[in-house]
Parts: sequence; C-alpha cells; structure tokens
Amino acid sequence: MTCPERAHPSTRSGRASRRTRWLCAVAFVVSLAAASAQEGHPLVGTWYGDWGPTPQARHDVTVIMTWDGKAIGGTIDPGPDAVPFKTATLDSSTWTVHIEAERPGKGATAAVRYVIDGKLANLGSYNRTLGGTWNDGATKGDFKLTRD
Amino acid sequence: MTRRRAAATLAVSLFVSAAAISNSASAQRRGGAPPGPAKPTPHWPDGRVNLGPPPGETGIWTPPGIVQLSVNPKSVNRANPASHLPNNITLEAVPFQPWARALHAARQANFERDEPHTRCKASGGPREFITPYGVEFVDMPETKRIYIFDVGGPHTFRTIYMDGRPHPKDLDPSYYGHSVGHWEGESLVVDTVGYNTKFWMDREGTPHTEQLHLVERFTRTDFNSLKYEATVDDPGAYTAVWTGGFIMRWSPGTEPWEYICQDNNRSPQGMVGTDDSVSRQRRIIP
Repeated sequence: MTCPERAHPSTRSGRASRRTRWLCAVAFVVSLAAASAQEGHPLVGTWYGDWGPTPQARHDVTVIMTWDGKAIGGTIDPGPDAVPFKTATLDSSTWTVHIEAERPGKGATAAVRYVIDGKLANLGSYNRTLGGTWNDGATKGDFKLTRD
Repeated sequence: MTRRRAAATLAVSLFVSAAAISNSASAQRRGGAPPGPAKPTPHWPDGRVNLGPPPGETGIWTPPGIVQLSVNPKSVNRANPASHLPNNITLEAVPFQPWARALHAARQANFERDEPHTRCKASGGPREFITPYGVEFVDMPETKRIYIFDVGGPHTFRTIYMDGRPHPKDLDPSYYGHSVGHWEGESLVVDTVGYNTKFWMDREGTPHTEQLHLVERFTRTDFNSLKYEATVDDPGAYTAVWTGGFIMRWSPGTEPWEYICQDNNRSPQGMVGTDDSVSRQRRIIP
C-alpha cells in the first residue's frame, strides 16, 4: 500500500485518499505495537529521536526497522511522507549501521538521498540507542535515536 | 566488653548457621540434592508415560544447578556437567548468523545482566526449564491438554494441545507461542510456533526471531531423569537447524509454591550496576 499525497476531500480521489490515509495511520499504530521491546535482531523496532546540522536546528524523526532473516528493511518517518530504505547493513563486529534511503521527488522538487551511518550503544537495553552522522541531501548533521 | 564480644560471636555463628541451612534447603529446591536410586519410568494405566508424580506423591522437575542448551565451558555461568546431554552441541557448533553470534557474545560479555527473565518476563522455549525453581507437568487426557507450570519468573503456565489440532494461521506472537504435542513412544514431542522476541531462549543469551519453530522432545529416561531436547529452526537467526538440550532431575516431595515476581519494572537498568549508575533525576528510580 502506498500512503497518498494530500488531495481535495470532496473529490473521489480525495475520499479514496482519506481512506488510505486512515489505513496508513492504522498500519502505523499496529507496526508500533508489533515492534515493541524485542530481544531478537537488535535493529528491529521503532526508533525515535532527532537529527540536525547543529545542536539548535533539530528535526524530530521516527525510524522503523525490520529483519526478515536476510535483509534489514525500514522506513523513515512513516506516514504520507515516509522515506523507505534503499539499503541497510549491520556490521555486528562493530555494531555499526549504514543506511541509505531516498525521498521521492515531488513535482519540481528533486529526490533527496539520505545516507546515515551510526553505531549501536547500550545493546542489552530495551531502549538501546543508535547515533552517528545523518546526511539529508546536501545537509550534513548528526543524529541520535532511541529504540522504543 | 568480653561479654559483648561473646554475644557478637554468638550472633555471627547463628547467622552463619542459618545461612548454611538456608543454602542447603535452597540447593535441595534447585535439584542439587542426590535424587536417590533411580526407579523405572512411571506410566499411567493406559501406557502413557507419567511426566509427573505417581498418584499420592509429589514432585517437580528442576535443573541440576545451571544448565545450558549448548555446551559452553567459557560461559559466565558454569553449567553442571551432569546436566549435559551425551554429545550435546557445543556453542562453537551452533550455526548462528553473524549478528546472532555477536549478540550472544555481547550478552555473555555483559554477564547476562540484561536477561528479560530477571525482569519477571515469561520464559519461553528452553528457558522455561532453566528456571531454578522447577516446572510441573499436568497431563489432563480428558481435555487432551498438557500444562506446564513454571514456578520462577512470572509464575505462569503453558498449554500443549494434544488433540491433533494444527497451529492457527496468523498467530499473534507470544512468550510461549502455540504448542501442539503428541507421543512418539516414550517421548512427548511438542511443536511450537508463534513466539515473540521478548525473551532469551536460554539463560546464556541465545537469541531468536519471530521465525522460530521449535520442536521439543521430553523423555523420562527413568524416574529421576528427564531428557530435554530442543530442535531450533529459525532462519532469522541461524543458518541451519540445530538441536541442543540438557537433563532435568526429579525433585521428590516438592510442589510448586507461590513465587512473586513483580512485572512491569520500568527501570530494569536500575537493578544492576552500582548506585552511581542510577540517576536520581529520573522520573522513576528503583
């Protein structure tokens, strides 16, 4: 299912869009519940935190990660503006993570590429953390996420 | 002064004696006491193996000290060699995926202090039988169910359906999963799917994913011994299917007792480490 862009609610596409947005919202809530407090693959779950180029300029961010036994999947900011992972790898010898994602272009707005490199900390905790560098297009910054 | 010193010496002696008696009782509960001469495996009149006490007797199964699903002499917890299955798999031979082996090593390096069981979480899979206070099997053929009650942890139970039903589709993952069982000769064979990942599969930190499919074989080889074998099929965490297990001992004259473990601890980190690691600025402190 693709979560829709905003459309006028009185149109047929708008009503369908509204329904799909509801489904997206429900799916998001379900995914939060399913991903809580796991002890399996250390990246699986819902991660909250922020990133930004300076300590003052921060952006809240939510990341959901999954593991199917072979590949790490994930989404940055689930919802209408979700950014799906293109690739993600975990080096378990150092507990470092490399993620690449891309926000699709909209009209005249070009696609934005994300390159995220982080390191897991406090591995044994339910609320382990992931922090490192976050490149959002041309903007370079740092990030810190905590698993819920 | 002399009288005071004598009183102090007496108090210390009494304390040490009480501790010794307490430790002895504790060891007995943990299955450390000699089980006595082995009688044959008990059976019900219809020929089924009796996994519990004969009528009129009491007893539960306890691990003989610390037991391991795979043999790991380097573990932070030293297992009782008497608990090992003959030719049991070694930790090195367990076909971990790289992340799973690294996670197991990290848990060992952390002295297993993050284990969910110690936070009163239910112990699924093999971990249910590693709880030091033991388990009781209650076979109810009239309902075609066998229940396994565990004493430690959250003092909960697990249901094994013996009526031939299949696993439901789209199971909601849970600590104990969905278990169906049947008898193969003298062995109870239990097939379980639908586990969540909120527990460790054993005390050592062996990880699993929601793809875990576990087949357990319980064989009462004599009155005092229960062989436990678990075949782990989890492509999310392992590159191949593997089997491990251990021996449990009969603890006669014992019944499950009330065991309180307070769930929903919101500050598990506060249970370990030094006082310095606890921030008194937190909303919840231990």
